[in-house]
Amino acid sequence: MKSYRHLPVFICILVGFFFIFANLSHARENDLEKLRRESAKIRTLQADFVQKKFMKILSRPLISEGCFYYSAPDSLRWEYFKPLKSIVIAHQNKTKRYMYSEGKMVEDKMGGAQAMKIVLNEIAGWMSGKFDRNPAFRATVSQKTNTFITLTPVGEGMSGVIEKIEITLSPQAGVVQAVKIFEGPGNFTQIDFKNVKVNTPINQSVFQDVQ
Amino acid sequence: MKRLSLLILFFFLSSCQTLPVIHSPSSSAGEKSWACPSPFLKEKYRLVHAIEARMAGNQRSSVIGITLADPSSRSVSCAIMTAEGMVLFEAESVQGTLRVNRALPPFDSESFAKNMIEDIELIFFQPPGNLRSKGYLADGSAACRYLEEDGKWIDVTENQSDGIQTKRYSSSGALERIISFNKRTKNIYQRIELQADETFDYSLLLNLIEAQPVKTKMFKRK
Repeated sequence: MKSYRHLPVFICILVGFFFIFANLSHARENDLEKLRRESAKIRTLQADFVQKKFMKILSRPLISEGCFYYSAPDSLRWEYFKPLKSIVIAHQNKTKRYMYSEGKMVEDKMGGAQAMKIVLNEIAGWMSGKFDRNPAFRATVSQKTNTFITLTPVGEGMSGVIEKIEITLSPQAGVVQAVKIFEGPGNFTQIDFKNVKVNTPINQSVFQDVQ
Repeated sequence: MKRLSLLILFFFLSSCQTLPVIHSPSSSAGEKSWACPSPFLKEKYRLVHAIEARMAGNQRSSVIGITLADPSSRSVSCAIMTAEGMVLFEAESVQGTLRVNRALPPFDSESFAKNMIEDIELIFFQPPGNLRSKGYLADGSAACRYLEEDGKWIDVTENQSDGIQTKRYSSSGALERIISFNKRTKNIYQRIELQADETFDYSLLLNLIEAQPVKTKMFKRK
């Protein structure tokens, strides 16, 4: 559906860049080539997250909580527990979005499930180390106490949708600490990850059961 | 030609519906002491709702809606975003002037913004029109009827079983909106249902995530 044509890109950002950097090595190297090599080693990923939405209209951030699971090559579950229960599941070349309605999870058919396939293509690319192949963004890397990746849109494709993305890597183990997505003045989303597990076995039912 | 005329007359008559009859309270004293149902905001509020939208074919989708509404100035700021935090629509209306700050397709049409602000005003603000009648409907509901400047009618009704409802009718009496508030919940905005009768009917179910009064800061002169 046209209404959510940018949503796949947004979810890509939420999920995909986490994949890219989750397995950054202890080494000091922070260049894109190093990230490309390291990302190719990821088989599974899982983490909890807290998402804070900042907007001028809100006096305090709107806080959401959830978790995500990924299993190579293309299985994904991105789930919100609150305040709005929803799940995106991509598995065996099918992508579905679910919402909570009348006491159960039902398919959100207006959520652009078909368009979500784009997400998988992007993730597949990133998982094989081609994370900078997306021409919509230019990536720059900087090192202070933490490593920061800044992604800025190139061209008109993301114009008016996303201004820039900042990714913070923790000093130890190169795990992603936070992602900030700037949509406009005073409007940004911050996601803090915790309980990150890399290459831990994940039951495949996670990608099939929504309840 | 005669058949065509009859057909046109049929459609014309079918589009002219009548409003429900409101029976006046039995005594003039009763009419004076009559209080209209009022599910409307009394002060500036910020409300965040989980919104479930249902379209034709029982298609469903969910988003988060944020409303900042000030009944004293009748100003509204609002935003729609996905669970992922992506803002799809953001607009404000101050003294009748609408400004859209962000609108991604299909929320980028002028009519969408106008309708959304009108829906928010209908839910949260006292009708600005003249109170034309008050009393009881045939089913016993207390009812107050307002006539808007544009000729539309707004009924605000209340009864024990259905709670409070706001209904908007076109100038010809066609029902356009039904808004139902659940009186049993602690906050009247905890669960709101909006039914829209348009070319493409839709309904919205709003479940409150948070509500917060907005205090205007007062600065003391030194």
